[in-house]
Amino acid sequence: MLRLGALAAADHVAALPRPEDKPPGKRKVVIVTLGGIRRQESFSLEGTANIPHLYRDLLPKALFYPYVMNEGVTAHVNTISSILTGAWQQLDDWGKQAPRQPTLFWYLQKHAGLSPIDTWVVTSNKAVTRNIGLGTNVILSKQLMVEAVERIILGQSRRRMLTRDNVYEEMKAIVLAEYERIGWAVPSMNPLVMDALLAGLTEFFTGPEGLTGGDELTFVMAREVMRRLAPACVVMNFSGVEVAHSGTYSLHLAGIRNEDELCYKLWQFLESDSNYKGRTTLVILPEFGRDPDGSTTNGFFNHRTDTKVCRLSWMMVLGEAVREPRVEERLVRQIDVVPTVGTLFGVDARQAEGRRLDEFAL
Amino acid sequence: MRSEPRPVIGKELLAKLPRTFLPVLNDYLRQWDLLFPAERRPIRATLDYLAQLAPAEFDALVAPIKRVESQMDLSGWRAGTEHLTIEATSVLARSPRYPEWRAEVARLFERINAVIGESPYARSGKLIVSLLPAGLPLATEPLWPRLARHGRWFELERPFGEDGLRLVRALAERKPLEGSDPVEHTWVIESEARFAGLADCPNLTVLSYEALAPARNQFRRRMNEIEKDLRSADETFDSLRNLKIEFLLSGPPEKDARLREFIRNLFLSGNGAVLFNNSFVQWGAHEALRRAQPQALVCAFGIRHKLKPFSSLVLFEDQNRANPVPDTPDPAGSLADIQVLCDYVYLGAQGLESYRDRTLYLFAAADSEMLLLIAPPAAGAKLPGRGVSRIKADDLIQIALPWLEAG
Repeated sequence: MLRLGALAAADHVAALPRPEDKPPGKRKVVIVTLGGIRRQESFSLEGTANIPHLYRDLLPKALFYPYVMNEGVTAHVNTISSILTGAWQQLDDWGKQAPRQPTLFWYLQKHAGLSPIDTWVVTSNKAVTRNIGLGTNVILSKQLMVEAVERIILGQSRRRMLTRDNVYEEMKAIVLAEYERIGWAVPSMNPLVMDALLAGLTEFFTGPEGLTGGDELTFVMAREVMRRLAPACVVMNFSGVEVAHSGTYSLHLAGIRNEDELCYKLWQFLESDSNYKGRTTLVILPEFGRDPDGSTTNGFFNHRTDTKVCRLSWMMVLGEAVREPRVEERLVRQIDVVPTVGTLFGVDARQAEGRRLDEFAL
Repeated sequence: MRSEPRPVIGKELLAKLPRTFLPVLNDYLRQWDLLFPAERRPIRATLDYLAQLAPAEFDALVAPIKRVESQMDLSGWRAGTEHLTIEATSVLARSPRYPEWRAEVARLFERINAVIGESPYARSGKLIVSLLPAGLPLATEPLWPRLARHGRWFELERPFGEDGLRLVRALAERKPLEGSDPVEHTWVIESEARFAGLADCPNLTVLSYEALAPARNQFRRRMNEIEKDLRSADETFDSLRNLKIEFLLSGPPEKDARLREFIRNLFLSGNGAVLFNNSFVQWGAHEALRRAQPQALVCAFGIRHKLKPFSSLVLFEDQNRANPVPDTPDPAGSLADIQVLCDYVYLGAQGLESYRDRTLYLFAAADSEMLLLIAPPAAGAKLPGRGVSRIKADDLIQIALPWLEAG
């Protein structure tokens, strides 16, 4: 199947922009981590039905690594921290401990001269952001919505019902008055930034699609930040697939399909926005798989086993760093991302333990 | 419920055990009266076996685990003396040596189990019925494609739902194996309180997601209050471990301390048991098979509601609180969930020595005349011949009861 994908990819090489077409301007990187998705529900014969965009629309343009190992602790905070530091982390699951090595953002600010306004994290995971690195702008999009919903449910707001308008107004009120209280860190806050955040909310609630989910909010907020502020490095995290922990397989699959759709929309945005078109590398990778069917940890519900089903995932690279579409079947590791992305920015992520991926156009 | 004295462990043995075993062992002994017979037998046999080993044999047996322990950074490990806390588990689980530790523990118990053997109850024939509710869009979905490879389809003379109660009653009223505890006889784990009318059967244990709503909601509410850190989670779980839940239960679980604790542990062990009806059925079945090891188990799934906008972001909250959107059933989503959960009931049972190759599995839907039967090789002679594809509910009863009563 992967070889078929590679052949399909070759057909699309001609459609890629040639180097001389590349517009001048700053290089950009967007990294998207997805929650736990097994190969059998994604890049497998049965699974591709759940990822039509990743498989049919994006794989033919991509540098694709089908075998990406998570050798660390297969929990969210540890994995995202490991990806962003380029070293396996063993932290407590709620992010109270700082990673042992600096994150990508630290390298970019210290050695690539990027300013805080150039580094953004838009995520569903509150814990992972606590020690993400000073100077990085962190929006906990899903946490914002959770906070607003809780306040209405618990009667802590004058808005009494969970209507679309009420949730919108509650979220706006939190952003305007107390975003730091819910864990956001926006050192670059200024009127322009506030406008971007409020515009993201407005787009989410008043757009034609009637969006309600946390991952959609993450996407819309990140897109608005990129559209208005054009940061050089953006990390996003989608976590809707984690509904699997409650045992609803259909909702887990719906989460995968939704993330597939959002990744595609993100790529379409990056290809259409003048700040990003032609100079952006998009990296998409699940944090891990999930446990195998029949495991004592209850299969797809969890991600705790020391098995290939849980540890072995995949990674898709799109855009500027793709020399030519191909499937690279050698085994790589999630901690290889930071040394590679660092090189894209001309930075040596020297404390990372991963290795540079030379298949990237560096 | 028979009382049985708890085992006494010599100080010498305790001192020689791997450090990481003590909280779990202490927990077992502290809760001895709350363990099911199928749990007590191997613990007692294991302790008896360890106590009679010569010192050199004992040291050789536990040496691999102690070696891994010595390489793990357990210096900050504050394992409680009475049970393993979430915080202590987390320290273990994020150790780079954790996979090795798990593997060595598994190897140790494989060795011990090979010596102590199985009880007659563990060796007896078993039966597991997975029953789908009425109202699912069956025509559009092939049912159990993975399981069908292991079994045979039969056509019933009428939809299974019309005979389901009769089959379950027959199972519940069958003669128990000599010397067995009633809690080892027949369990029903159900979404709605459909088989509650059988509560008069003395050997039947019924756990219903619907009937457990008061206890379930209490656990859900308390878990929702957990702050995002390990200490807070441990404090909440400790408080829920001590919560008097008998006031929230009715029927046998209210009176039987073992069932009360089973329900408590089920709710505390996650896997959606407090949130979704079908997750409760599957995870409840998994835990019942692992712990109580009933000879017969009926898993009666249901239809869950669709997730509501906004409320579904906070699943541990009451989904109807402050939400103007009414509850709407989700038959298609429920079917997709249940198909996988039926696979998991089967795989979970096959992962247990007491059930592997000793269990007849029936998979049926209330609205359907088609029934999937998976039988172990030893049951072959008791099944209808290869040419038979149509059977009656009475035939099923005639297959199931002798299989169970033969022991």
